[in-house]
Amino acid sequence: MARDDRNPTLLALTSSALLLPVYQGASADAPPEFTEVGVRYSRYKEDDILGRNAFGGGSERYKIDVAQFRMLAPVADDWSFALDVAWEDMSGASPWFVGQVAGQSPKVIMSGASIEDTRTEVSGTTRYYYDRGNAGLSLTYSDENDYESKAIALDGALNSDDGMTTYSAAISTADDHIDPTQGSVPTNTLSATKDVSSAWVGVTRIVSQRALVRFGVSYTYREGFLTDPYKYKDRRPDERKEWTVGAGYRYFFEEQNAAVHIDYRYFNDDWDVQSHTVDVAWYQNFGQDTIVTPFIRYYTQHEAEFFSNLLDEQARYFADDYRLAAFGAFSYGVRLSHELGNWSVNLDAERYRTDESWGVFSGEVSPGLVDFWRYGVGLNYVFR
Amino acid sequence: MKHLTGLLFAFVLCGCETVQPWERGILAKEEMQWQPNVMEAQFRNQVYASKEASSGGTGAAGGGCGCN
Repeated sequence: MARDDRNPTLLALTSSALLLPVYQGASADAPPEFTEVGVRYSRYKEDDILGRNAFGGGSERYKIDVAQFRMLAPVADDWSFALDVAWEDMSGASPWFVGQVAGQSPKVIMSGASIEDTRTEVSGTTRYYYDRGNAGLSLTYSDENDYESKAIALDGALNSDDGMTTYSAAISTADDHIDPTQGSVPTNTLSATKDVSSAWVGVTRIVSQRALVRFGVSYTYREGFLTDPYKYKDRRPDERKEWTVGAGYRYFFEEQNAAVHIDYRYFNDDWDVQSHTVDVAWYQNFGQDTIVTPFIRYYTQHEAEFFSNLLDEQARYFADDYRLAAFGAFSYGVRLSHELGNWSVNLDAERYRTDESWGVFSGEVSPGLVDFWRYGVGLNYVFR
Repeated sequence: MKHLTGLLFAFVLCGCETVQPWERGILAKEEMQWQPNVMEAQFRNQVYASKEASSGGTGAAGGGCGCN
């Protein structure tokens, strides 16, 4: 493919962001041709917790409003720079702990509408492009009332002689500080730290003129205060070792003028959590300018070894956090992308639902499982 | 899992037809990218990571947040 024929989107860099990979592309061998900027608004809203699952009746849960800005620009002949900024406004209630009245099922006690926080994240990525690949450096800073995170990441990609295979690698480290807000509920610490180190290697292969496949493995080591500071009954180990194995496939159907995306991830850690995740999306073109993308995701996880609704607080570790329980989740949604000259607009909506019976792993049923809606609108401009 | 891993390795490393650079136009389409909408993916992955016990898998992990 001639360098000048590249769709600028193909060259989109990966930004380092919250819990996000630092490398996602496989073919970015040249800086973007034009500067691109984008803005986006998203809303995340959890369903109310049902009265049968909570003491004191049903109540509202968590919601987040997010504004994002992104700029990607060429610098000189062989460099690019990407800036990502996100502002979040979070509010609502979250499960505080689980209790049980004799003869009844466990129920959660909510924290009350006590969560009120804002978060700002800034991430800068500079990238150098050479004949057979690219290398990037990312710095990310995230700040909220009770949490601060600084992260640095390096990634690189190398193409084979024939350009059919791309070998990729990324490493990162993060330094996080937790200072829980002292309010209506007691916290598990007044101040603590944790560190995250992570590495990923991957191989991307061109299968045919219409197909790509990717395979990757990652390892992440977390150390420090991994307990949830706001949960009443929560004490977790001070280290966690995580492995993932992932694969992805892209295929373009010329007759339908559409592409299918299939992604799978297996996750395992030394807390006895393991999970399977499958994502499938269908990118349907309508004419030259519009893409409609229905998607579905399935997720199932095994409970952590120290998870239980009714805890033994004499045990070394314990947690009744629903996020460590066994459950299955289906999410589904649709994305719309439309180009108007140098402008493009994106709309998307997703529904996420959980149920213990949808999982492939058995375990205690947590009364705190969450369902939510997520939707957003974005606008991008290319300075051609 | 071991069998799946072996199959994927075999699939990736052999048996693919050679596609010349001038034949890769379809692969450059937006809808063939690993992540066509970066900003949406950033927030979506953050949500999954804060509501599930798993995260990562397509790159090195970044920093954390106090996400409830």
